[in-house]
Amino acid sequence: MLELKTLESDETNLRLLVTGVDTPYINAIRRIVLTEVPCMAIDEVVIIENSSVLHDEIIAHRLGLIPIKTDLDGYNLPEECSCRSEFGCNLCRVTFTLDREAKDEPVTVYSGDLVSENPNIAPVSDKIPIVKLGRGQKLKLEAYARLGRGKNHAKWQPVSLSAHKHLPKIRIDAEKCNACGKCVETCPRKVLAKSKGKVEVVDLYACTMCRDCVDACPEEPSAIEVNWEKNAFIFILESTGALPPERIITEAVKILDRQLKEFTDQIAEVQKA
Amino acid sequence: MKIKVLKRTENELKIEVEGAGHTLCNLLQKKLLENENVDVAGYDIPHPLTSNPIIYVRTKSPLKPEDALLDAVERAKEMNKEFGEALKRLLQA
Repeated sequence: MLELKTLESDETNLRLLVTGVDTPYINAIRRIVLTEVPCMAIDEVVIIENSSVLHDEIIAHRLGLIPIKTDLDGYNLPEECSCRSEFGCNLCRVTFTLDREAKDEPVTVYSGDLVSENPNIAPVSDKIPIVKLGRGQKLKLEAYARLGRGKNHAKWQPVSLSAHKHLPKIRIDAEKCNACGKCVETCPRKVLAKSKGKVEVVDLYACTMCRDCVDACPEEPSAIEVNWEKNAFIFILESTGALPPERIITEAVKILDRQLKEFTDQIAEVQKA
Repeated sequence: MKIKVLKRTENELKIEVEGAGHTLCNLLQKKLLENENVDVAGYDIPHPLTSNPIIYVRTKSPLKPEDALLDAVERAKEMNKEFGEALKRLLQA
């Protein structure tokens, strides 16, 4: 039976306990989140004036890596857009402008200085430095953000972390254990605790299965055993802020379904031939 | 996604899947091997940058390899659907 439980959830983080799926499936979801779920990033920059110390290319690269709040429903992927234009249209491109000049004092240009044509599509943070301008230097440019996929460039990854690990299984043999507390002291993640002359698991999800506790146990064989559940996983997702983590994982499920459907259609063609 | 048939006999099928990777192939391999009438199932990506994955399936007759693949995809879809529904319930709660 497939079951999901939220372990942690806020604006950018999501930690789920997933039971009843196998490794290839949870790995497919993890990989799709990284490579297939689209998000927006600056893709093309027209530099009008750049007298800063950084080359145009470096500024363009720095702009590309700024996470941008994405509207997946309002915009199309350039290759799927009806405009069929290399340059893009209002449905597949967002224009940003930037115009800063350092007059008497040096200034730092931040991501917050980018002015978007659509107020809903803006940098996730206003405080990402782009370049420092010395006295008399100027930076003026126009940048175009597009939807893209992580498999083409890491700037289009909606997440900074997408991972899964097995759910640990810790068994303490009550007959062998004399509650010496050596395992409690050794554990780097403070998974174990001693209470009322007994060693107990207090934070199972923090366990990394390093087995230091098994080695630390003076009993031979060890009174503590660390293993993992075969079909239970902790799925960890950390969004860059481009999309809410719930939306990212929902999209991943949709994309996997689409890919499997495509595969079925192709096999049906093979059968016909 | 496009499938190119490299070898096809009564109970053997070797296909090249353009535009797929470990994501899909590893999932399908697992689902194929769950079927006890599948003799051999595996995939290979000869070169990580320049080649497409090649899936190989050999079945015990009377099961046809194409049907084994369809069955595997169907089971993967079912798991995905279950996961999607569980996720929806979780997010609504």
